[in-house]
Amino acid sequence: MIRYIIRRLLWGVLLLIVVAALMFLFFRILPTGNPALLRAGRDPQPKLVKEIEVVLGLNKSLPVQFWDYMKEVFLHFKFGYSYYSQEEVRSLIAERLPATLSLTLGAAVLWIVGGLGVGVISALRRHTLADRFAMGGALLAISAPEFWLGLVLLFLFASDIGKLKILPGAGSYVGLTSDPWKWFTSLIMPWIVLASGAAAVFARLMRSSLSEAMKEDHIRTARAKGLPERSVVRQGVRSAINPIVTLFGLEAGALLGGAILVEYVFDIPGIGELNYKAIQQSDFPVTQGTVLLASMFIILANILVDVAYAYLDPRVRYS
Amino acid sequence: MRSTQAIAKALLAASLAAVALAACGSGESSSSSVGSGNASVLVSPGYQSSANESLAGKRGGTLTVLQEADFEHLDPGISYFALDYTVVFATQRPLYSNEPNSNQTVPDMASAPPEISADDKTITVHLREGVHFSPPVNREVTSEDVAYAIERGANPNVANPYLTTYFNSLEGIKQADGGPIKGIETPNKHEIVFHLTEPKGFYVAEALCLPLTAPVPREYAEKFDKNKPTNYADYEVATGPYMLKNDAQGKVLGIGYVPGKSATLVRNPNWNPKTDFRPAYLNEIDIKIGGAQAVIDRQVLEGTDVVQNEPVVQSAVKLAAEHYRSQLEISPGAGNRYVSLNNKVGPFTNINLRKAVFAALDRAALDRERGGDLVSNVATHFIYPTIPGFEQAGGLKGPKLDYDEHPDGDVALAEKYMKLAGYPSGKYTGTETLQVVGASSPPEKEDAEVVNQALKNLGFKTKLTLVEISTMYAKYCDVPKEEIDVCPTVGWIADFADPETVLNDTFNGKSIVSTGNVNYGQFDDPKINEAMAAGELVQGKEARAKAWGKIDDEIIEQAAAIPYDWEKSPRLEGKGVHGVGMLWNEGAWDYSFTSLK
Repeated sequence: MIRYIIRRLLWGVLLLIVVAALMFLFFRILPTGNPALLRAGRDPQPKLVKEIEVVLGLNKSLPVQFWDYMKEVFLHFKFGYSYYSQEEVRSLIAERLPATLSLTLGAAVLWIVGGLGVGVISALRRHTLADRFAMGGALLAISAPEFWLGLVLLFLFASDIGKLKILPGAGSYVGLTSDPWKWFTSLIMPWIVLASGAAAVFARLMRSSLSEAMKEDHIRTARAKGLPERSVVRQGVRSAINPIVTLFGLEAGALLGGAILVEYVFDIPGIGELNYKAIQQSDFPVTQGTVLLASMFIILANILVDVAYAYLDPRVRYS
Repeated sequence: MRSTQAIAKALLAASLAAVALAACGSGESSSSSVGSGNASVLVSPGYQSSANESLAGKRGGTLTVLQEADFEHLDPGISYFALDYTVVFATQRPLYSNEPNSNQTVPDMASAPPEISADDKTITVHLREGVHFSPPVNREVTSEDVAYAIERGANPNVANPYLTTYFNSLEGIKQADGGPIKGIETPNKHEIVFHLTEPKGFYVAEALCLPLTAPVPREYAEKFDKNKPTNYADYEVATGPYMLKNDAQGKVLGIGYVPGKSATLVRNPNWNPKTDFRPAYLNEIDIKIGGAQAVIDRQVLEGTDVVQNEPVVQSAVKLAAEHYRSQLEISPGAGNRYVSLNNKVGPFTNINLRKAVFAALDRAALDRERGGDLVSNVATHFIYPTIPGFEQAGGLKGPKLDYDEHPDGDVALAEKYMKLAGYPSGKYTGTETLQVVGASSPPEKEDAEVVNQALKNLGFKTKLTLVEISTMYAKYCDVPKEEIDVCPTVGWIADFADPETVLNDTFNGKSIVSTGNVNYGQFDDPKINEAMAAGELVQGKEARAKAWGKIDDEIIEQAAAIPYDWEKSPRLEGKGVHGVGMLWNEGAWDYSFTSLK
């Protein structure tokens, strides 16, 4: 198992190098415009553009720029400096990482607990009112875009612009250490919005997976042996969980993607919002840094999923 | 959109007695013309406007500002955008500044209007005494600080974006690299003299209102300016009534300005109100950066001591116009918008084809896409309201050319010009496909689609490409070698109230460059180039307005491009705010004049 983990980690590093290289090329080949031109104002004079290119290092050949970039990223874990604020990208990311972690980890907990909980209840009470209500809700949650759902919740419940002023609204996020209660309440709506779509998918998948599992022979045998229903359900959940774990790896990417919109709507100063603004401004170093960080998280999440998969299903063997 | 027009028209009827009604395009208009200096201003009757806002206020309090976008540059030597100017003009004092409700400059760091020599080649400016830099510099401002501020603009690490545009005739500017400039002389602590190589004193003197002329203390800033690029903004000091909050060492970054998050303006303890025309009512301005505009709009409309400092989206304008009218201010003079046609290559080298498209285009529809009369006017020429030369170019009605007289589009007239262009059927029969590049965000996207359809109706084959707006300029419309035939949504806004700043960069053949080209259609008419060269040397506001108004008409006579919109800028304020917008800066709130009720 350890060899497998090491091998996966090495592949992960290789994958990150490929992602970094592709991003570097995409941002310079795809039509985004010369950052020096954007920085040079409305009437950019050629001399001025050239001077700015020198200052930003854009006058160097592409291979030299690429080598400088890769060296800094992988040897010093530095992503360069923002073209706009001139701040180090690493510190920009570090400053915003806690907010994004607060949002995504909280949403992940909500989606796992909520999604699996609802899925188990629906599977065990198929075709009851509770099941229909839960699955109807899940369908609604899957269909609702995060941006729209976020606005609806704000217009309904935000303390400044909502009809029922019960929860802090957009722009109210504070760090966990500065005010834990305010941190918690300010994230309730963002967590719900970010978790809702994935939780709904999990709930539906869990329902169908568990329904099938509960019909299997070993469950019938367990019941025949007189095991308590709780233990029977636990066995069923364990055999139904594998596709859910696989899905978790896939959803990690969607979680980070969703965080961009949720941070934007709720004005949470996180990585997603930073990335959104950087894309708008063609601020390549910031975009590259945030995308690379997101890639790293997704790769790590998938490695964890694979390890968990092996742990949960003894039939799976890795050599 | 239609309902907005209806509201505006109803208001128009009610306010006819108070203001003079100006005709607009195809019919009645909800805009009225009032004077501001020697330029016309089109206000929306019944709404607050930066042109006629009261400047009186109550002292004290903290204003919260919500803005989706971050600042680009707060360094006075680099800053060049409306949003940046809101902070820069509250913290810095250029030689001259605008009062918020006027496009006329008044002495700011200067103590009197500039003295221009008879040969128009020397400008002398006397500085106020008793103006001090904020902590940690604290000392009195001298003419050396103004000289350094301009010199550093030529430092590649600072790279001021307009130095060579407006100060190109300054002696020694071509060799300048951040060190002393031969044409800048400081005979004593409170006098600065500019020596020019050409008789352009009047025009250069007008450009002294740009933030580049705000003093910068050499001994303090020089070490930051050595960095590539400069990080003076992270430690910048102020001369205005407010300063970005800083620590004892002067550090602003992370304290008074956190990129992407916030900016905090506090009173400059060294500011002396006796030396300034700004009242500076507010104690503090807390700027929150980020969030979705749809949410910000509502937070401001429902809020009290809060403003939004960005142009408002159409849905919010409509909501505010219907339910929160006292919280909506509409500022005229927010620039022009036009369809650029490639005059250099392709079918539009044929003037009659340009006239045909001009005649066919439903400019009123484009205007409606932008929110209709309340927030825009159908343009008939390029010099827009608030800029001298607007009336001289024909005012609202424009230069009276048949293809310019039908804002709703005139198909029969378009066919006439198609026939004159050599297409007897009245439709274009060429085989090439026109490259049309527009912006992908509303309302530019809708504008581009309307223009594209008009071209198709005339028989052109088109390929419409929609990209992000900065990409549209930087990759396509600014780059002549891309040979884009039509850029449907380009626009321009003057850097200060002079008609040359509207027309010279955008329609002078001499301003065509290989990258960053803002003469989008590569219009290069020798006769008009000559007229512009002569116009550059004209002195006096009235004379310049007349000269450049005529040039504007000549550009329309050549159908070089198709103007369709003179923009206004709507802004929102909370219930407890008496917001004062800057007429000369797209209506952005002026923190030095805004107060709490």
